[in-house]
Amino acid sequence: MNTYVWLIRREFWENRAIWICPAVIACALMLAALFGRVEVAGLGSPERNRAMAGMVLFAFGIIFFLVMTIYSSWYLLDCLNADRKDRSLLFWKSLPISDTAMVLAKLFTGLIAIPIVYFAAADLSAMLMAFIISLRAHSFLGSALWQPDLWLQLQALWLYVIASMAIWYLPLAGWFMLISAWARRAVMLWSIMPPLAAVLAERLFLGSHVVENLLKNRLAGYLAVAFHNLSQHAGWVTPPLGGADSITTPTSVWQLLDPIGFLSSPATWIGVLVGAALICGAVQLRLRSIEL
Amino acid sequence: MPPIIQARGLSKKYGSQIALDHVDFSVEAGRIVGLIGPNGAGKTSALRAILGLTAYEGELGVLGREPFGNRAALMLEATFIADIAVLPGWLRVDQAVDFVDGVHPQFRRERALALLAETQIAGQRRIRELSKGMKTLVHLALTMAIDAKLLVLDEPTLGLDILARRSFYDALVNDYMDATRTILITTHQVEEVENLLTDVLFIDKGRIVLDCSLEEIATRYAAVAVSEDLIAAARAENPFYERPMLGKKVLYFERPDFHRLASFGEVLTPSVSDLFVAKLS
Repeated sequence: MNTYVWLIRREFWENRAIWICPAVIACALMLAALFGRVEVAGLGSPERNRAMAGMVLFAFGIIFFLVMTIYSSWYLLDCLNADRKDRSLLFWKSLPISDTAMVLAKLFTGLIAIPIVYFAAADLSAMLMAFIISLRAHSFLGSALWQPDLWLQLQALWLYVIASMAIWYLPLAGWFMLISAWARRAVMLWSIMPPLAAVLAERLFLGSHVVENLLKNRLAGYLAVAFHNLSQHAGWVTPPLGGADSITTPTSVWQLLDPIGFLSSPATWIGVLVGAALICGAVQLRLRSIEL
Repeated sequence: MPPIIQARGLSKKYGSQIALDHVDFSVEAGRIVGLIGPNGAGKTSALRAILGLTAYEGELGVLGREPFGNRAALMLEATFIADIAVLPGWLRVDQAVDFVDGVHPQFRRERALALLAETQIAGQRRIRELSKGMKTLVHLALTMAIDAKLLVLDEPTLGLDILARRSFYDALVNDYMDATRTILITTHQVEEVENLLTDVLFIDKGRIVLDCSLEEIATRYAAVAVSEDLIAAARAENPFYERPMLGKKVLYFERPDFHRLASFGEVLTPSVSDLFVAKLS
């Protein structure tokens, strides 16, 4: 256990972007909140203000979420490649740490630790922003931002997203790590080309779309599997900027999360199995990676 | 006491190229063994197999373990420095000490800090900011602070100046080495290590050419500088190598009749480097 703590700490030493990136975004948002013009349309009834406040906080998270997704993917693609390129792999291998532990620590960092850092940064900057906005002119929105259950819902949403994404995208993470452990260079290219080639070849020679649909369902199917039908609860996601009476009660996050549906979907567990196999492959390559 | 390293029929192929060809050898506890061979002879392959870094064919036991697949357990009792310094550039010196201290139960932090203090490298420096020689010194300090039964050094002093090299080897023999430890070392600078080796293993084209202790060299091998007039008679004693030197010829013999050799000139024990050249030419 202690070894894993050190291994994850090591990842934070090596990849300082893990915390510099969210810190930079947070600072930019703070500057915007401090000096930007805050002009919010559609303020009025308390319900509406509340929905707006939820939207603002959610939008904050989304910004961090998007950057986190990109960074995390890059991290997983690079993590087993960087120490082979600079040959420091030989140093890590001279210590009593198994290759499995090294790979799992990196997987954990990419799928859990990095998202936690980003969402913590999102929370922190959302709180600071709420504070700044309450001090500035828009008192309606300002007070609407300080509702404990809104924050609670947001935390639940982020935690659910971290956990369910880690499970759903395990095969993707496994694929990235396999490529990272295998390719000498051009990891990005290697991660994209084989699936793309498979899709095109299938289309060309067989005229079918099996691989394409598999990939599509995995990449784009997350929201449909992990959440209840979003279009029915769109009130929370798209704010009522137009008609005055388009929303009466803001949708609660609790109605959106679908953990039972997610965990009982066969696609979830097939993905976990595929992901586990790919990660085993990455460990095997890592065992032999001196020869590559 | 069983040998620290025991290899039987050890082979390693890369595609059709044979790096190690059914090699047998063993290394006993408390020895300092030089693994010596030209480039591409199979030294690195042998070391990698011993350290569990690569799969191989044949039998290999290191500290009683099969190394490949047990590397993590093996590294509790063995450690190594491979090729040139390979510490990652982003790592800070103090982080390196903290990390190894955190994951290695046999690491002695005070010793590492004492060794680093001698080098006068500040803890906040990143490895990438250091010169090649300083990188090596940091790596050596980390490695020498590990209480390992087996230390494998692959060209450990590459990039160090002559003073640093000398002080490294002095420290290795005087501070580090004791009866419980075993050191396996490869280097191109044979002259520098021959005084500290207890055994040599010559390897060439994937085979062991010579495997003996330094005391054995004195009883098994002889070199005589023979003048031209005696050369025919000396050649009759079956030298395995000869080379010209200052108008004379130096002839190298294996298991000779030392009394008869004395009549051709002064009988000397060849140095490890001379023997290496003689054996591999």
